[in-house]
Amino acid sequence: MLLPGIIFFVIFHVIPIIGMKLAFQDYRIIGENIWVGLKHFKILFSSPAFIDVLKNTVIISSMKIIFIFPIPIILALMVNEVRNGPYRKYVQSVSYLPHFLSWVVIAGIWISFLSPNGGINIIREFFQLPSLDFMTSKEHIRWVLVFSEMWRSAGWDSILYIAAIMKISPQLYEAAKLDGANTLQQMRYITLPAMASTVITVFILNLGFFMNAGFDQVFNLMNDSVISKVDILDTYVYRIGLLNGQYAYATAASLFKGVIGLVLILSTHFLSKRFTGKGVW
Amino acid sequence: MKRLSWTRSIIYFVLFIITLAVLIPVLNLVAMSLSDPSRVKELTGLGVIPKGFSFINYEIILSNPLILKSIANSVFITIVGTFINLFLTSLMAYVLARTNFVGKKVVLLFLIAIMVFEPSMITEYLLMKDLNLLNTYASLILYKAINVYYLFILMRFFQEIPESLIEAARIDGAGHFRIFTSIVLPLSKPALATLTLFYGVYHWNEYFRATIYITDPNKWPLQVVLRQFVVKQDNTTMLSGMDMSAEMLASLDFGSLQASTIIIAIIPLLLLYPLILKYFTKGTMDGGVKD
Repeated sequence: MLLPGIIFFVIFHVIPIIGMKLAFQDYRIIGENIWVGLKHFKILFSSPAFIDVLKNTVIISSMKIIFIFPIPIILALMVNEVRNGPYRKYVQSVSYLPHFLSWVVIAGIWISFLSPNGGINIIREFFQLPSLDFMTSKEHIRWVLVFSEMWRSAGWDSILYIAAIMKISPQLYEAAKLDGANTLQQMRYITLPAMASTVITVFILNLGFFMNAGFDQVFNLMNDSVISKVDILDTYVYRIGLLNGQYAYATAASLFKGVIGLVLILSTHFLSKRFTGKGVW
Repeated sequence: MKRLSWTRSIIYFVLFIITLAVLIPVLNLVAMSLSDPSRVKELTGLGVIPKGFSFINYEIILSNPLILKSIANSVFITIVGTFINLFLTSLMAYVLARTNFVGKKVVLLFLIAIMVFEPSMITEYLLMKDLNLLNTYASLILYKAINVYYLFILMRFFQEIPESLIEAARIDGAGHFRIFTSIVLPLSKPALATLTLFYGVYHWNEYFRATIYITDPNKWPLQVVLRQFVVKQDNTTMLSGMDMSAEMLASLDFGSLQASTIIIAIIPLLLLYPLILKYFTKGTMDGGVKD
């Protein structure tokens, strides 16, 4: 009974992983590939295009961690102040919704909302600001990535924090109220400390996926006018490998990303185990 | 009635604004798709009430053979794919959760290794090519047929089934397969429902593998067609295969047509949303960060 599962993993996971030896070879359509050692890596690291891609990946990932990470925590704290009832249910159901939409759909929604006649520009008009074409603006496109990711995930990501808050004993709050603590003080001295271990775990997990920088999102929100600002490792691999057919070269870029990702995940796993007693698995 | 404190009122208000920020972009597209094409220009980017009322955009979209075919493809891939996901995942979860065998530790370690190291999209593509699976639904169904993370959720659930029930069945002479189908699976309906929705939503929303594995437009799932239309702004493909007079073409509003395609892609999720909320929330809280 174990066999179907194992066969599946061997064919669809192990074989393509072993196949990544292609990074050290030249691809041949007919006949055996030939070994070329580190050739592709040497080209990779001396190519300004690849260095730019690497920079973009790091910048976009960092922006997302800095600006998005705190939002679900704040959201959870706010939702926690809403009494159980229809309003809380409404807030939660609505804020979780974007998580279930594909990035193709979200791109469609945002492209329309950010268009020169879209909702954002109407709000800008109200404040007497000039209309902007966000999707083709090199200055703004990374912020489009940050805000659309926030729109999609902040609600859903607050779930883990809400779960942590719900485990806090109500007696603590009762005692605090008797001592005259107001809402903000209760947040500061009871709720936040109780969430700390969840916050650390989620933060470390996020670091583990740093090199991804959100492929699906960038893939759907990217266009020719802004590509220099948002081209990340995976979109680069896609373009060089699958569109241009430079399989070996693109696999080298993939392998580089995979190894960094592996180091990050393993180190964050052990860090997390050390600080919170919980690992990635 | 207790009066709301100042802090509370501000929080209620801010949360209301947040929900509007989520809803208005979506409702604006709904309004656009339902507006009369001759009046849709009056609709502002923040408007949520259709100008005039007409189903014409949906009629046009749903009379496009390419889109109709893609909806059928998506439904097929989602149903068959999810079924195969569930079968393979639960079979493996049962063996790992309820039996002891030599090398079980190795298998578990192997699964964790798979979780932390993903193959390159290039070698995955070359594999599908070597297996002659390009341009087949099988490539989409077999890719990630077992999600390790979901496998672990199901394993944990199977482990909680009382040993006494299984022992009783074994005494009655039931083998592993019998125990699996007539005891473990029926007792695991909530977990299986969770996984059905996890896998189902994944298949419905999947577009990337379909973009690279499927080059025949007649085999595209809805998300790929939607991407062609909305992200790549390819209107020619969208209107090909349709009989339309020049007059009719001139009266069309492409923004509204795109909007209605987006809404069609969201509708199944909205219909299942109460179920999705219930099971996803539970599944994520149980399986996510475990205490």
